[in-house]
Order: sequence, then structure tokens, then C-alpha cells
Amino acid sequence: MAEIVLKNIRKTFGPSVVAVDNLNLTIQSGSFVSLLGPSGCGKTTTLRMIAGLDTPDGGELYLDGKLLFSESEGCRVPTEKRGMGLVFQNYALWPHMTVAQNVSFGLEMREVPKEARKKRVEEVLELLHIENLKNRYPGELSGGQQQRVALARMLAINPDVLLLDEPLSNLDAKLRLEMRTELKRLHQTLKNTILYVTHDQLEAMTLSTHVAVMHNGRILQYAPPLTIYRFPADLTVAAFVGSPPMNFFSRTEEGASGVFQSFLPLFPTLAERIHTVGVRPEDLHLSPAPPLDSWGYPAFFETVLPTGSDWIVSLKVDKRTVFSVLKEDPCLQPGEEVWVSTRKENLHLFDTQQKRIEIA
Amino acid sequence: MAGVWAQKMRFRRFVNHLRLLPYDPTKTIGFLICAALAYLILAPVLALLLDTVRVNLRDSAIIGLPTGKLTTYFLQRTFLSRVSDVLFWKPFWRTLWVAGAVCAIAIPMGALFAWIVVRTNLPGSKVVSRLMVVPYMIPSWTFAVAWISVFKNRRLGGLSGMLETMGFVPPDWIAYGALPIIVCESLHVFPFAFLLFGNALRSVDSQLEESARILGASSFTISRRIVLPLLKPALLSSFLLTFSRVLGSFGTPYILGSGVKYYLLPTALYNSYKVGSPGVAAVIACVTVLIGMSLVALDMFFVREYRRFITMGGKGAIARKHSLGALTLPAVLLTLIALCVTILVPLGTLILTTFMHRPGLFTVDNFTLAYWVGTNVPAMVGQKGFFLNRDILQSLQNSVWIAGSASLLCGLMGILVGYVVVRLPKSKVAAYLRQVSFLPYLIPSIGFAAASLSFFAVPRGPIPSLYGSMSLLILVMSLKYLPFASRSGISAMMQMGNEPEEAARICGATWLRRMGRIVLPLQKHALLTGVLLPLISGMKEQSLVIMLATPGTELMTTQILRFIDYGYTQLANATVVGIVGIIFILTFSMERLTGANLASGFASRG
Repeated sequence: MAEIVLKNIRKTFGPSVVAVDNLNLTIQSGSFVSLLGPSGCGKTTTLRMIAGLDTPDGGELYLDGKLLFSESEGCRVPTEKRGMGLVFQNYALWPHMTVAQNVSFGLEMREVPKEARKKRVEEVLELLHIENLKNRYPGELSGGQQQRVALARMLAINPDVLLLDEPLSNLDAKLRLEMRTELKRLHQTLKNTILYVTHDQLEAMTLSTHVAVMHNGRILQYAPPLTIYRFPADLTVAAFVGSPPMNFFSRTEEGASGVFQSFLPLFPTLAERIHTVGVRPEDLHLSPAPPLDSWGYPAFFETVLPTGSDWIVSLKVDKRTVFSVLKEDPCLQPGEEVWVSTRKENLHLFDTQQKRIEIA
Repeated sequence: MAGVWAQKMRFRRFVNHLRLLPYDPTKTIGFLICAALAYLILAPVLALLLDTVRVNLRDSAIIGLPTGKLTTYFLQRTFLSRVSDVLFWKPFWRTLWVAGAVCAIAIPMGALFAWIVVRTNLPGSKVVSRLMVVPYMIPSWTFAVAWISVFKNRRLGGLSGMLETMGFVPPDWIAYGALPIIVCESLHVFPFAFLLFGNALRSVDSQLEESARILGASSFTISRRIVLPLLKPALLSSFLLTFSRVLGSFGTPYILGSGVKYYLLPTALYNSYKVGSPGVAAVIACVTVLIGMSLVALDMFFVREYRRFITMGGKGAIARKHSLGALTLPAVLLTLIALCVTILVPLGTLILTTFMHRPGLFTVDNFTLAYWVGTNVPAMVGQKGFFLNRDILQSLQNSVWIAGSASLLCGLMGILVGYVVVRLPKSKVAAYLRQVSFLPYLIPSIGFAAASLSFFAVPRGPIPSLYGSMSLLILVMSLKYLPFASRSGISAMMQMGNEPEEAARICGATWLRRMGRIVLPLQKHALLTGVLLPLISGMKEQSLVIMLATPGTELMTTQILRFIDYGYTQLANATVVGIVGIIFILTFSMERLTGANLASGFASRG
């Protein structure tokens, strides 16, 4: 059981770069939490601070109620004593040790007797289906195999907390899917707490029990993946999660006009507060004539990008490009007029502070 | 109350910090090394500076001033007095003249052979380019010892030279002074220019010349307008570094010059220190340090300046080879002559003399093994042959012990400096360590020795006077070679990156175990180079140790000079052969062990 609590954690690099800004986060025991955000948003720094590799400038850090770090007390449990596992982006396998030696290193540090060590190493290698690579050196392994060894090395010590720093970013697409499945299976069997750092929303959405969307050193939203997708807490989250990204229509400096204006009658009580309206491409439908029972607006067809399973359609609405994802070929000619439509429940509303407006 | 509480908190924080020390002592180690280097490198240099204006113990009786008093006496005596000519100005101008002449011989010679090897289809050019570097591998004074065994005349005591034995008495100007010093130094340093020009020529793409040819330029114009300008950096570098080598080398001018009182700056400095005034010696040492520093600074400036137009072609430059055609035979002959003169003749002479009672007398009964294995060597009282000789064996033991310990210490410091610099990037500690560990590179060996001597000759705090002790030699040697070790340490640590060690931390390894199990095994290669390179240099080091060695701590290199002083030609030569043999073995095993090409390693040293 391992619950991680971050309280007001701060970290700056040099005088001007704020990497992590007053971060508060509770990672429940046994959960699979992803830190999702663009590169440079402070997610790796957060992970490294939890591991003890970087020291926060301020705040407190607890593991299961035990203090790991406190700036005011000058207390810091060193990495070596935290007993967590961390898989690095580039694996960091020790090139001068065989796979078995790499995996058994942590056990040696814990002074596990030789026989038990051997047994545990075989167990872990088996768990990750790499028992045949035991005597190879890291240089003799493929990327996917190295990835498994790096995981095995950390799993060998059976850590309550497993930290993963973009572990799949160096793999090709096919291996990535395979390892994603593997990670989810491991989490379901081992039930330890996993903190997963990634910039890939697909990984975060598919693997996690909770996602923390980070931006500029802050957590914008911390919720289960589907909640984040369906109810993004603010404009940045809405823009970051989802592919192709959400379509936005904003109030211009001159005021409400055009397509934005057309949304306002749907929300008579909120009209003054709404600053931006968002629609996900998959919620935006096309029809040859104005829809009868939902919102609609005329548009011009531009082009279509068939992915095989979907058709991504780009359209011009009020001279702006808007995307729609369809399940079938629209069969339209460039420049052809068409109506875009969506239902009221599918609209996301944001105020001038970019915060979500709940529709009562 | 609040004060007590705050104090309690501060104490708790302090205890917590102490408890963390075994896990991450990088900062602590960094500060310790910083302090150590400040004490071992910066303080001696400052002490040397101070010695130029302060009365020391030995001088105080002569000039009648109390020890420690500030004075301009030494500066005046060195630069302005009636004896300044003998003490300083003559050696100074002579040094410039000799260095200039060496440049004038060695650089064209190196450039010519570089062009032949790199740009023509000379048969066996690979072998030639490896052999050409040999004179630079063997100690510089090897040539001087060989020269004196051949050309020595009756002006000096001891055995006569080979030529005199054969009936031809060489005049003084051939035997001693400027001419032999210039020739011997040139033979030693020309491979340096060879390497620099070779690398430069290799990086000049033939397509640059071909483009000029297509635009209608003649061969002469191409050389003048395209190739020569591109070789300018190599020319400047070899000029400056040749100069600084001559400035720093002690053995050759000592062996070939002191007999006829032909002093250069290093020998003048040594002389002043041994028989004259240590204060004057300090002034001369400061001058050599100053010249040495400005030469290296100039070189670095030019290298940076020229980097702007040196194009490192991504595709790799293609050096098209000129066909020698009818010139093949002359070129081969020229190369063979050069190799003979620079390697075969000097080493052959040295080996030959050790088998002769009277070098130069070619009769059957004149040949002997006495100088290698004899129990009683004729004409040398109480001396035995090389393998039984107590002095030689003692000095060999000292050399191995001193160079061995110094290189281990140096390699270890290099890795530690590298570790701290890479682990604390952008910190003041890292910047300081980078610079201070590089400082000994700028200071000529003999000046560095003088500085250390003036600082450590007296007890300092807990450290007793180190003069005459082995530890002083080990310390000074390891510091002098630190620039190479720390540079290779820094680049090796950079290549390794942080992750391997961080992964070990995650697995629960403390600092010592991380070093033992992860960092050092991964740095095996760098450590080996960082130890072997100083070991090789240490085994042939003479300029650095000549002022520091005493009868109990004689090294092989200084023992040679004693033998030469006594006129024990064969024993001196046998010792030289011994050192050269050791260096060949070490170099060979190093190339084998590390796969490093020594030639390229040497190119970066001054």
C-alpha cells in the first residue's frame, strides 16, 4: 500500500525558470496515475522529485503518511531509502552487466541471499517473458527487449511505487501497443501504485485510472481519463486532450458575431458569461440541409483525410478551418456548401478565465 | 523562546544534512578537491611570485637583509645589475634564438613529410606515419645523450666521444652549444608539426583544390590561395607549441650546454637555484611561467579564431593523393634517411656504445657485456653493469614507484574532477575546477617544479617540509599531468551521463557502492588512459623532477644526468636504452589495452 501526497511542492531552475509551481497532488494507493502535458511542463521534474533525484525548493512530500521531504524541517529521505522503482526514458541499463546482473542489482543492495535472489530474478524475467535473455548484455538487445529488462530491474525489488518516465517514447508504434498492454496487465496483477509521465495523450487515456494534466508547472485537472475527455476543466485541457483537437469559437474583440453568435440563443441564462464554445470533431456532423432539432451552421467543404477507419474532414466556417471526424466518406466536392450540426449537450463552454462553465 | 526554537530547528536541519552525506557527497567532494587544488596549485604559484620580492633564508645571509623582508633586490639583480647579463639576458636571448631556429627546422620538416605521407602515393605511408611519431615518443634528451656520445671532445672529462676515438676531434661548436641543441630539439619535435600538418591536410578536401582548378587556377595559385591559408592554424599552433617545448625542456641544454656554460632559461634557472640565489631563480621561473602561459593562451586564441573558417565536411574530406611518378624513389629515400637520422642512428648509437669499452674503437676485444651484466665495470669505481647496478636499480624502483603512484593519483583525481564537474553543472565549483585543474598545462615543467619547491620546502601547517621526499615528487608529478587526466575524465563522465548512476540510486545503492559497481567499471577505459598516459610521461619526465630529486630519490632520468656528469658514458646510455625500452613496452600495451592511437593523443599535448 502506498499513497503519495505532494503539498505545495515548488522547484525552480536558476532565477527565472519555474519548473513546478506550488503543486498539490494525492496519488491514491494502487492507482495508475499519468502526468500528461507538453514537454517542459514540469512533469519529469515532479517525478524526479518524488524519486528523490531532484530536491524541491519548498513544500512537503509524504509516502503513506511518512515524511519524505520537508523544506522547513530540512528533512530529506535519500533516493536510496525510498524503495521506489523508476524506469528511465532511455532505460539506463548498465552496459557492463548482463540482464540477470542488471535485474538482481537491487536485490543485492538489499542483501537478499543468493538463492532467493536467483529465484526472484527468474520470476521477474518470466513475468516479462524475457527469461531467454538472461545472459545477454544490454548492447545485444532490441529496444523493446531493453524496455522489458528496465521494467524487470525495477520490479525485482517489488516496489510499492513504480515511476515511469516516458518509457514508451523510444519504441516504434507496434511495440508501443504491445508494451501498453503489458503495463496494464502488470498493474492489474501487481496492484502497486504507478506514476506514469507522458506527453502522449493516448497512453495516458488508455492506461490510467487518473490523469493529471500539467501545464507550466501546474496541474490543470486531475480526474479519471473519461472525465477529462468529457468535461475538460479549462480551455488548455480541452485543447490538449483529443485528436484532432477540439474546435473552438470565441467572442472576438468587437463582440459576439457569426458562428459564435449562433450558439448564444441555446444558453439564454449564460449568454453574457460565455467566451469560448468548443466542439469535438467527432461530435460535429454534416448534413446537406439545416438540421431541424439541433444547432446548425453553414460551412464549405475543403478536403478530406481518410485514415482508414475514419474520415477527417476539414471545412471552412466563417473563413476559419474546422475539423470533423466522420465514420463514412462524405463524398463532397471542394467548395461545396454543407451544414455542420451538433447537439447542445456536446458543446463545451468556457468563460473569460478559460474555465469550464457547467450547464445546469 | 523563539530564538531557542529557531536554533533547535537549525541544529536539526544540520543533523539531517549530515545524515544524507553518505548518499550524495558530490558537493562535499567538490569542495574538498577545490580546497586541495587551491592549496597544491594556486598557493605554490603565488608563493613563487612572492619569492621574487621577499628575502628567503638562503639569500638573507648573503645580501644582509632579514628573512621575509620585502625587497626589489632580486628583480634588480636579475634584470638590471652587472651580472644580469649572465644570469638572465644571455640565456633569455639564447632561448629565443634556439627556439626560433628549432621552429625553422622542425616545422618545414614536419610539414614536408606530412604532405608526402598524406597527399602522395608513397609506398608504405601507413607504416611511415606511425614511425614518424617515434622520435616524439622517446624522451627529448635521448638525442642529446646520443650526440654527446659521438661528438664529445676532450674539453669534458670522462671517456672520449666516438669520433675522437676514431681519430677525428670535433670542434667545440659541433660538440656543444647552440648547434647540437638546435639539431637535437628539432629531431625530437618535428613529429609534432608532422601530426598537426597531417591532420590539417587530411581535413582539406581535394574538391576545394579541384574547384579552383576548374575555375582556371594554376597549381602554384592553388597552393598559395587555397591550401596554404587553410594550413595557417596548423602552422601557428606548431610554431607556438614548439616554442613552448623548447622553453620547457631541461635535459638537452643541460647535457649539451652546461659543459661550455651555454645556458638557456631552464638551465639558467636550475643553476641559479643550485649554486646561486633562490630569489633570482624565482624571478627566472616567473618569466618562464609568464612566457609559457602567453604562448598557450595565444595558441588557444588562434585555434578559436580559426575554427570559424575550418569546415569539417560532414561527408568526410576526400584527400586525393598525388602520384609521385618519377619522384617515388627520391621520396622513399628521403623518408628512409629521415627515419634513420631520427630513430635508427640515435638509438643504434646508444645501444652500440653500451657494448664497447671505448666507444668508437672497433676491435674484437673492445666489445663487452660488462656494462649490462658485469660485476665490476672497468674505469668506473664501484659501479656494476646495468642489471646489477645499485644506483640504476634504485632509480628504476624510484621511477616506477613515483611515476606509478603519481599516475594512479592523477587518474583518480581526473575521474573525481570529471565526476564533480559533470554532476554539478553550471555551478561555481565546476567552473573553478575546470580552470584550476587546467592551470598546470600553462606552466612550463621547470617553473612548476620551482613553484612547488618554494612552497613545500618549508613546513606548512600540518604538512612537514617535503623537500627531498618521495611524496613531493609524486605530488608534483600528479599535479602536472592533471590537465590531461581531468580533461579525459570530464569528457568520459559527460559521455556516460547521469542515468546509470541514478538507476543505481533508485535500486538503493549508496555512493560508495555506486562508484564501485557502476561508475568506475563504466569508466574503466577512461581511467586506464588517465593512468597510463601519465605513467608513460612520468617514466621519461626530467624537466619536472630535476630540481626535486635528491640522492635518496633519484629517478632513472636524473640518474642519467649524474652518470653523464661523472663521465660514465656507457652506464648513462644503457639507462637511456632501458627507459626507451620501458616506454615502448608501455606505449604498446596501452595501445593494445585501450585501442587508443597514441599519435593522436600526443598531438594535443604541449
